[in-house]
Amino acid sequence: MRESQIMFIQYMTGLLILVFGSFHFLLISALAPTTDKVLYSYTYLNGIRTLAGGTLYYSTVKAVYTSLMWGSVFELLLTFLVFHIFNGFRVILSEQFPGSKAEKIITYSVLIAAMIVFIWGSRTIVLMLNGGL
Amino acid sequence: MQEIALKGFGEVVKTVTFRVKRYSPENADMPRYMEYKVPVQRGMTILDGILYIKEHLDHSLSARYSCRMGICGSCGMIINGKEKLACQTQILELGKDLIKVDPMGNYEIVKDLVPDLSKLFRNHQKVKPYVLREEESPTSEYLQTPEQREEYAMFTDCILCGMCLSACPTNAADELYLGPQALAQGFRYISDNRDLGFEERLNVLDSKHGVWRCHFSGACSEVCPKGVDPALGIQLLRQLLTENIFVKHKQKGTTRGPERKSASGVS
Repeated sequence: MRESQIMFIQYMTGLLILVFGSFHFLLISALAPTTDKVLYSYTYLNGIRTLAGGTLYYSTVKAVYTSLMWGSVFELLLTFLVFHIFNGFRVILSEQFPGSKAEKIITYSVLIAAMIVFIWGSRTIVLMLNGGL
Repeated sequence: MQEIALKGFGEVVKTVTFRVKRYSPENADMPRYMEYKVPVQRGMTILDGILYIKEHLDHSLSARYSCRMGICGSCGMIINGKEKLACQTQILELGKDLIKVDPMGNYEIVKDLVPDLSKLFRNHQKVKPYVLREEESPTSEYLQTPEQREEYAMFTDCILCGMCLSACPTNAADELYLGPQALAQGFRYISDNRDLGFEERLNVLDSKHGVWRCHFSGACSEVCPKGVDPALGIQLLRQLLTENIFVKHKQKGTTRGPERKSASGVS
């Protein structure tokens, strides 16, 4: 793959992270599947202040993470993030340690690390889709 | 100190201290600064000051220079923290009583203010800085209109002084980086309508240490003594390479003009 193609994907994933990252944050505000668009809402039960709902309430978060649509959004966000971050690392490290041998080590190390993070992240998303552990 | 006025200049205006970085790898000395008091006459440049030191104060000081008029690009050095041609920099215009002179950065040092420019020339050579055509010995000129030349005209002003490479922060970290000079020259030849070497240069320009490693600090354009904007060349090259991902860049290569006869009448 030519460096121009890699860097084009790098810039595109950067833009897509902004878009999908925005969705991620909207999910705990405007797009949350709750009526009250606050992080936490409280009620008084027998005079005691108790957590009752909100966008970060357990059942709300679970509702989001078990939705196939949001699961897909997270998987895409993960894909874009993994490429952008690890290719960024590769570029920075290649600049710091130039030389064909060092670059080969850097490229493969970064590739392996990226795959581990991607597989681990995907596993988490799939587990959450199935209702969690 | 005996003040010796240089011929051809005005009266001595003041005395300025030159703090010059001295280093001789041959003697395994550590780099150090030495100070010299130089009587400054109106019209004196930094190069004149250095030559004054060499002639009257310290014969062992080394500096590279040639034309003394900003054409050859030999006397590039860091003057008060910024890359400048010593022959183009007036001492009085700096407005300082202490002038710090360092050799250019990002190069090995031969001695004192003389950098080893091999890296610059090697990178320059890598981008094949000449019009590439299939014909081995063309018998006439390749045609070009003034408008076509205008597309890359600015980049032809490069005098290979190497100051852009010295100022480039990427080059400070990545010694394999092609550098602004070579990249701008790569763009200059690719955008020349007579050239057919785009594919051939791609392996160098579009490599791991090519055009994509530029961080766009713009230091190269800022220090260029000839007003060339290598940072612009790099961005234009990036644009061209990105377009090339989707639509293959094709160079048509201009046609040849009529054959011309030499002075002897033989074509």
